[in-house]
This record gives sequence, structure tokens and C-alpha cells, in this order.
Amino acid sequence: MEMQKLRRRRLKGSPIFPKKMYAFVIPAFILFLTFWIFPVFQLFYYSFTNFNGINYHFDFIGFKNYFTLFHQGTLINSIKNTLIYTVLIVVGSNVLGLAVAMALNMKLKGKTFFRTCTFLPALFSAIVVGFIWSYVYMPDKGMIASLLELIGMDGSRFNVLGDFTWALYAIAAVEIWKSFGTTMIIYLAGLQTVDESLLEAGKIDGCTEWQLIRKIKLPLISSTITINVVLSVIAGLKAFDYAFIMTNGGPGKATNTLMYTIYKIAFNEQMMGKASAFSVVSFIVIILITISMLIFMNKREVEL
Amino acid sequence: MRKEGIKSGKVILYFLLIVFCALTISPLLIVLSSSLRVPENMQSPLILFNQFSLQSYIEAFQKMNFPTEFLNSLVTTTGSIILVVLLATMAAYPISRIKSRLSKGLYYFFIAGLIIPAQMVIVPIAQTFGNMNIPNTRFTPMIMFITCSLPFSTFLYAGFMKSVPVEIEESAYLDGANLWMRFSKIVFPLLKPATISVVITQAMWIWNDYFFPMVFVSKSAQYSLPIGMIQFMGDRENPAQWNILFASCILCALPMIIAFAVLQKQFINGIAAGAVKG
Repeated sequence: MEMQKLRRRRLKGSPIFPKKMYAFVIPAFILFLTFWIFPVFQLFYYSFTNFNGINYHFDFIGFKNYFTLFHQGTLINSIKNTLIYTVLIVVGSNVLGLAVAMALNMKLKGKTFFRTCTFLPALFSAIVVGFIWSYVYMPDKGMIASLLELIGMDGSRFNVLGDFTWALYAIAAVEIWKSFGTTMIIYLAGLQTVDESLLEAGKIDGCTEWQLIRKIKLPLISSTITINVVLSVIAGLKAFDYAFIMTNGGPGKATNTLMYTIYKIAFNEQMMGKASAFSVVSFIVIILITISMLIFMNKREVEL
Repeated sequence: MRKEGIKSGKVILYFLLIVFCALTISPLLIVLSSSLRVPENMQSPLILFNQFSLQSYIEAFQKMNFPTEFLNSLVTTTGSIILVVLLATMAAYPISRIKSRLSKGLYYFFIAGLIIPAQMVIVPIAQTFGNMNIPNTRFTPMIMFITCSLPFSTFLYAGFMKSVPVEIEESAYLDGANLWMRFSKIVFPLLKPATISVVITQAMWIWNDYFFPMVFVSKSAQYSLPIGMIQFMGDRENPAQWNILFASCILCALPMIIAFAVLQKQFINGIAAGAVKG
């Protein structure tokens, strides 16, 4: 008898938080499933067809889309570009963000001013940022070119967005410019939780400034580092904006990121089947990187 | 000796910070100074603040149809945020209150959405919209804004809700409050810090997003501010158009800058809390 009562109670859940509470999830669940998760599965389906986005009488063509992608080399090139871009974003945003946060964490006058300056770019829309930096990078008349002229160098030869090697680094710099302020604010919040007395103890024991940072501050904010790195990796893998607004993936294929290539195949070439195959591969790449990163970061956090 | 070392260290630090900040905002300063020139003024943009005129702003204002675009942005952002807060708090409530496999599963189900990029799934999404006969209006992107905001918001609310003591709800239960009353009158008000964080972070990306409006809004009269900027795409190569282009850049960003100036504390705390709790 007792057992049965207990069982029944467990099935119904506790009286304060009954199972029917799950009804609260339904609206969000339906929206999320229909417009975010279900489309991912549709990608797998479309990737085996020659669907062009307009004509619904499409054929199944097996793995042909996948073969074409590997043969053309677009896939490997885009993966390579996206990975380079991601590494640049992760290192750039986090090093700059952490450095500025550490400086601002000291007792300084004008802290709010410095914080505002570094955060300001985060308020702008990516499209506006793209326009502004198109001017900054413009050959001949742009900001950097004019500055080079000013100090007596040949500004007309400065054309970073038209350069096969440097274009990718140039758009990554734009993304870092826009995002490191946000990273900095998160680091600042993490640093403020570091116990002053630990640093005092370290100083009394004769630690150098670098030892204080390496042995006390960094280990204590390791969870903040994890969050910021994860956020930058996710942002880097999604790289699209500046390849779309500033370079159109060019010169050649130098700034084709995964997401920009998908967009180009789908909307410019109108090949939805091929774009879907590309998306499927991208998705697998993104999942693999995210999972291995989470495993690595978890291990690292324990070690520190 | 030591004190002096610290003092000179501070001077160097100030110097580095000032140089760094100047470098960071230099593109913005140039944009601001050029936007304050008359459109015909084609002096080098590097000469800062040598003319103050609102002529370029007036032309940009008309060209981008600022009042309409501003209203479109305002309505879609506000509407999306209200619905996100409602849906995400509701979803997080059972997920954090009932300890079961289902809750855990739902939690990871929502988080998984964080890593899916919009550009990747846009083709099937557009197909789904077509199949459901959802027309392209200024409100259509809201569906995607809400959907894309759910993972982060649900995640954050679920984390915060754990800090709301169960005891408060137990006593309310004994006083006869039903589920909805407990949720709306007791739990929701206690989530205010999380709500500030969700509103700030999500409003920042929704207000600035141009991708979903680009795909889902067809009439230019229904454009929001960022997507309205696309018409200036050709002007960035043309120095003769720079002053107007820069004025439109400032106009586009102005509402966000004003919001930041007024709510600076909420912005900083909201962003930090969003990441730290998450």
C-alpha cells in the first residue's frame, strides 16, 4: 500500500510543482521546434536533392551534391578560412578584452570614460560597422591610406581588402574591434570577484606583478575565461557579416567563410540542394569543434 | 622608492589606455566629424571637426526615411522582447523547478540552439514560412527574432530561477495561490536582474540585425533601420557621398547610443550578469 501511494505521488510529481507545469514550456517549444530545430533536419533531406528553391518537382540525386563540393574545393577552403577567422577572433577579443579589463580593474580615474570608449563599437549594427571599415580600409582615400600618406608612405598601394593574404585578417580585425568591448565587460565582472586579500597575501610573499596575474588572478577567473572563449568561438564559427558587407568573399575565395558560402550558393546561384549539403557539412564541423572545445575547456578549468 | 615606481607605472598605464582608446574610437570620430559637414565638402575626412552643419543629416534623414524605419525597428524590437521574456520565463519555470530527465532534456534542447547559425538554416526556414503562407511584412522577422532569442534567454532564466527559494512558493501554495498566480506574482518579479539582462542583450542584437529583415521583408517602406542602410551599399566607394553616408551611419546608431547613455549601468550589469550566470 505504502509503496503504491509513493509511486502514484511520484508519477503526479510534487503537489506544489505538478507535472502539468510542463504546459508552460509548450509555446516556446513549438516555436523553437518549428523554426529552428526542424529546419536543421530538413537540410539533410534537401541535401540529397537538386532542389532550386522555386520548382518543387525536384529529384533525389544521392550524394552528388557532396561530391561536387569536395571536388570544387570550396568546402575545404571555407572550413580553413572559418577556422583561421575563429582563432583570430578568440585570441584577439580575449587578449585585448582581458588586458583592458585588468587595466580598468585598478583604481583609476576616468574608468567609465575608458570603458565607454572600448564598448562603443558594440552598439553599432554590423552593417554600419561594415560601411565604416570599408572607408577605413579603402585604398588611396581611406583612413589608413591617408594616414600612411601623412607620414610620407605610399598610401595608394595600401589595399588590404583586395589582398589575398591579408583580406581575411582585415575583416577579422573588424569583428575584434566590434566585439572586444563586450568581452572586456565580462572579464571586468569576473575580476571584480577576485578576493583582494589573496592578492595582498601574494604581494607580502614577494610575488611579482606577473606572478600575481598568472598564479592568482587567472586561475580565479577561469570560469569567466571559459565563457568568453566559448562565446568567441561560437561567434567566429558563425562568421558572415563582414565577408558579406565588405568583401563578398573576395578577393577570389580568400574571405569565403562557411556561412557566407552557404548564403552565396543558396541566394546567388539558386542551388538550394547544394547549399543544404554545404550546411550539413558545416553543421557537423561546428558540432565537432564545439564539443571538443567544451571537453578541453572543462579539463583546463579543473587543472587551473 | 616603491611608491614612485607605482606612480610612474600608473602614468604609463594611463598613456597606454589613452592611446588605445583613441585608436579604438578614431574611425567613429572621423565618421562623426565628416557627418557634420555639408555634403559638398570634400576635404580629407582626417581634418577633424572643421565644419558644423546639419545639412548632411537632413539629406540622410530623408533618404533613409528615418521616422518610418525608426518606428519599424522600435515596434519589432519591443514586440519581440516582450514575447521573448514571456515565453522564456514560462519555459524556464518547469525546467528549473521539476527535477526530472524531461527537464534536463528540454534544457539541453534549448541550449543546443545557440550553436546553429541563422545563415545555415535560412533556406528551410524560408520554405516553412512559404508552406505556412506567412506573408512578408515588417512583423515577419519577429518570429525569427523570438525563436533565436529563446536559447540564451531560457538558459539564463533557468539559471536565475534556481536562486529563487522554493519556500516562498510553498507558503503561497498553502495560501491557495494557483500555478499561474505563483508564477506571475511571485517568481517573475524576483527574476528582475535576469530580465534586465535578457532585455539588454537581446534588444542589442535584434535592433541591429539586418539578416532576417533582409530575407523576410520585401517592401522598402517596411524596412527597419539596419536593413534600410543597404541602399547606401554603393556609396561607400564614392567619396562624394561620404558625408551623407556617415550621417546615415550615425542616425542608424543614434537610438542605441542614446539608450546606452541613459541606461549605462543596466547595459554593463546586464551583459556581465548574462555571461556570468550563464
